[in-house]
Amino acid sequence: MFDAILPSENRPVSPPPLPRMTGRAELAFADGRLAHLYQQAPLRVLFPTPPTGEPVQAALVTTSGGLTGGDRLTLTASVRDGSRATVIASAAEKLYRSTGDDVDIDVALSVADGGWLEFLPQETILFDGARLRRLTRIDASGSAQVLAGEMLVFGRTARGERFTRGLARDEWRVQRDGRLVWADALHVDDPAVLSASAGFAGAVACATALLLTPEPLAWRDAVRELLASHGGRAGATVVNGLLLVRWLDSDAQRLRASFGQVWSLLRHGTGGGAARMPRLWDI
Amino acid sequence: MSLPSATLLRLMAWLSPSFPVGAFSYSHGLEYAVESGLVRDLPTTVDWITTVLLHGSGRIDADLFVQAHGIACGLGAVDDDPAALDEISILADAWRGTPELALESSAQGNAFVLAVDAAWPDPFWSRWRSHLKADRRQPAYAVAVAVAAARADIPLPTALAAFLHAFAANLVSAAVRLIPLGQSDGQRAIAALEAVVLHATDAALVRPPEDRGGGLPMLDWCSISHETQYTRLFRS
Repeated sequence: MFDAILPSENRPVSPPPLPRMTGRAELAFADGRLAHLYQQAPLRVLFPTPPTGEPVQAALVTTSGGLTGGDRLTLTASVRDGSRATVIASAAEKLYRSTGDDVDIDVALSVADGGWLEFLPQETILFDGARLRRLTRIDASGSAQVLAGEMLVFGRTARGERFTRGLARDEWRVQRDGRLVWADALHVDDPAVLSASAGFAGAVACATALLLTPEPLAWRDAVRELLASHGGRAGATVVNGLLLVRWLDSDAQRLRASFGQVWSLLRHGTGGGAARMPRLWDI
Repeated sequence: MSLPSATLLRLMAWLSPSFPVGAFSYSHGLEYAVESGLVRDLPTTVDWITTVLLHGSGRIDADLFVQAHGIACGLGAVDDDPAALDEISILADAWRGTPELALESSAQGNAFVLAVDAAWPDPFWSRWRSHLKADRRQPAYAVAVAVAAARADIPLPTALAAFLHAFAANLVSAAVRLIPLGQSDGQRAIAALEAVVLHATDAALVRPPEDRGGGLPMLDWCSISHETQYTRLFRS
């Protein structure tokens, strides 16, 4: 598969199609622990022992080390009762340049009445020419609380790479008690948007954190206070009863730091865990 | 040459700035964009609105418009059941990045339906409104205009281009008042945006379903920041 990434003198004129990788993980939590697990490479799940007082933790690992056009990942995570659970990516996800096909990522989160789920992916790094289609669906019942996020980085910014072509589609569907409360789809297929002042205004990273909780307005104000001292562009709002926090930055590290601050506040305030990030965030 | 039909006049009336939907009170985040210096003259105005039309709300609304128009054309004149519009109405109601953009769409959508029904009575509208109300939904502006256009037999390309043009013109009018721009510069912006409106219309007509939507982080940021802007003329 690395032929797709590294230039090779000996590459055949028409290389055979690369095999698609189809990773899958199914997680269900009940009684405060894992109740169901299915996994298929390259998606693997580890279960680090959480610190005392922290919810059960599932860490996602993409064993292939990155994704390329045609790969598909499917993740379902459900909290079946009043349990708390953390699902976190163990590392940033790299999306290599595609020769035409999309990487498809489907995430479905469902949380029963009284339950709490935190879904914390790390950065998705889009190499120049990468093609991503990601759909995240959330289904919350009754008083369920869900804290979910995403962070996109356009290009390997540390080496000065920019995202000059490809696709970044990031779609959300959020339901509460079976009722659609929020839909959204970022669809970047034209690099002009990244420089346009109404688009990204030159930013190389963007992020969203979303919280379903019974009292979102109080959290909005607390987050706004935190963001007031942040140097990048960020904002918090409540739309249809859903707390939305958005970041946009020309400095991916600064964005990450602010994201971690806000996330720590929200996970602690709504899930009762420590007011800091899970340890994997900082590794 | 034959005279244009009444439906063309109807489309002009519905999308004219004097149609009572309160369009003048929405800036779609532009008030904050001007406040923060992002939009300050004719070129930055045209650039801002171009991006919004091609990649932001213009793209989202165009996609919703195309779908709603198609469904509404399939409804019979007599046995028209508003339930056929449920899926698109629900999606349109939920598809808003910020509360002020949601208000802009739902308040104009509601006002549009009331005003159309008052002057061009059609029992369909009250059926649709009570149907939406039962699910605590509001008619999104793009969907309401698309349905009205379909019921008046106005072809999709014409109706969509007119809708996007009215949206662009309303943003230009907000820029004229906010920056301020001279009236001639305002018309220069309208002229420059003609090609963009046509391009946005063409693109929406052929867009595959899996590519529908759009989003602009800066626009959302402006709209969120507008919620706490100190002095405000606009509701969005």
